[in-house]
Amino acid sequence: MDINDNEIALAVKGLNKSYGSHDVLKNLDLELKKGAVLGLVGLNGSGKTTTIECLLGLQSANSGLISLLTFSPQSLCEANGKVIGVFDTPSLHPNLTVHQSLEHAALLCEKIVRTPQQVETLLGIERFSKFKIRNLSLGNKRRASIAHALLGGPDLIILDEPFNGLDAGGVDDVLELIRYLNQQEGTSFLLSSHQLPYLENICSHVAILHHGKICVNGAIDTLLSDAGLTIKLRTSNGSAAMAVVNSNNKIEILSSESEGYINLSLSDMNSAELNRLLVENQVAVDELIVKTPSLTDLFREITSENNA
Amino acid sequence: MNGFVTALKSELFIARNTFSSKFILFAPAAFAILQSLLTWLTEVGTSTRNNLMSNSNFNDIVNLNAYGHFVDGMSTGLAILGLLLVAQAAYSFSYDRDTGIVRHILIRRASRPALILAKLFQINLLAIISIAILMITSYLISGFLWEFGAIIEDGFELISEEEILAEISMGLKLAIVPLPAAIAFGVFVSTIAQSATQAITTALGITLAIDIFKSMLGSYADYLYARFQPSLIDASYLQDVSRIVRGYSDVLVNVDVLQLNLWTPLPAFVIFLGLTIFSIKRKNI
Repeated sequence: MDINDNEIALAVKGLNKSYGSHDVLKNLDLELKKGAVLGLVGLNGSGKTTTIECLLGLQSANSGLISLLTFSPQSLCEANGKVIGVFDTPSLHPNLTVHQSLEHAALLCEKIVRTPQQVETLLGIERFSKFKIRNLSLGNKRRASIAHALLGGPDLIILDEPFNGLDAGGVDDVLELIRYLNQQEGTSFLLSSHQLPYLENICSHVAILHHGKICVNGAIDTLLSDAGLTIKLRTSNGSAAMAVVNSNNKIEILSSESEGYINLSLSDMNSAELNRLLVENQVAVDELIVKTPSLTDLFREITSENNA
Repeated sequence: MNGFVTALKSELFIARNTFSSKFILFAPAAFAILQSLLTWLTEVGTSTRNNLMSNSNFNDIVNLNAYGHFVDGMSTGLAILGLLLVAQAAYSFSYDRDTGIVRHILIRRASRPALILAKLFQINLLAIISIAILMITSYLISGFLWEFGAIIEDGFELISEEEILAEISMGLKLAIVPLPAAIAFGVFVSTIAQSATQAITTALGITLAIDIFKSMLGSYADYLYARFQPSLIDASYLQDVSRIVRGYSDVLVNVDVLQLNLWTPLPAFVIFLGLTIFSIKRKNI
């Protein structure tokens, strides 16, 4: 991995960070291509926020190389707002109004591409414009915090727990906004969150951080298809079905349940092929449920495997 | 210096839109006005009683002169301003870190040293404006309640107006010189403290402790910038000026101490600035 590659928005190589004798990040490698949306997931205390703080130069790493749009964390201020972080706790001055807070953020941008009014409208907080930040709900503070990031047209936005405190409508708005910025303006995103269904919805790539290392990293579609199909099969002729399945090495029996259900895992075979195989062998299929693995399933599998 | 101007604009914007800066601008002047009004009320009572009893003494002549009251107002205002500036400096960075605001500035445009210099610049600017407001207010209220002029007793001029103005000018200069060091001390504490509350209590605690114990340090205290600040237990030259401009001749002026007053705060400022930049570069934010 060339960390100064112009096609890469974010590159991390061999990042190590410890708090005293406790190693939080161990030789962590991470890559985000320009125009991609990368979800960083992990259990509580796995080091997601520490990673983000190291990326943004807010904490010093013990060792490792980091490049954000070819800038190092220490020289991030030279990027003139091309890299923006939105943190898990909304970091806004409590005694400024929403509008003043956005005007303040605009002062920090080299060039603003949206006015404070425009981002207020974009995030649906225009009616709170004259409210002091300290009087806002957590969800609206989060919206204001995201609004901050949009004034200067950044190329890379790093969001730590962006969905915390947001209601369903707020989550939809933020997801829509991320999608819009990514598709229309080519903005790259690194999202850290526990909300795996939201990440699955929006991210093109995912990295699972576990025990201080990236265990899995890649395009979500590829990772989920590699995880294989799970089939729930019900048949009145269980023993015949088991015999057919056992004779085929593309099928693995995961478990058998009461009421004739058998859970199967398929590799290099789809559900139609399985159905045909069973029917050809005189096994009547009463029910066949295809279970596509979700990011949550993949995450559970990875973290439970590594915990064991 | 990366982003100094941006960081300064950011600091000024927040100062313009928050209460604490306005309080620093006007509180010293308000205290000076209050002190002058209370003094005037007391003196009117005393003077009326003396007139009724046909008593007239030197104190009445002295008390009618506005310069002494102007200096007293300045002394009180500067003592309060000194404490407020230390508190504000201690609050500045630590509060920004507590709330996370500092992250936005550092990520976007400014380096850490630039941010610290911007904060120092902004608080010093605040101090200059506050002193200007204090001087104007104190001068106007003193002139309104009393009369400016030379001190004359029995037709003999004890001290001329030019001499009074020269002493006041010298006293104010010496009282103001330690303020940048006091501000730098506050900012330094701000960068090493774990929270804004801890920073303010530590900075004010140390400042007041020096105030209380400076007399016990003897001549060693002359090497502390805080020894020369107008304070609660005031040992600044402005206290002497208050008596000089009233025509008292028993004021002993030690020229060596005045020289130390002029120069001691400078290395203190440089040391605190160096320590602050050293600390901020290594701090997790």
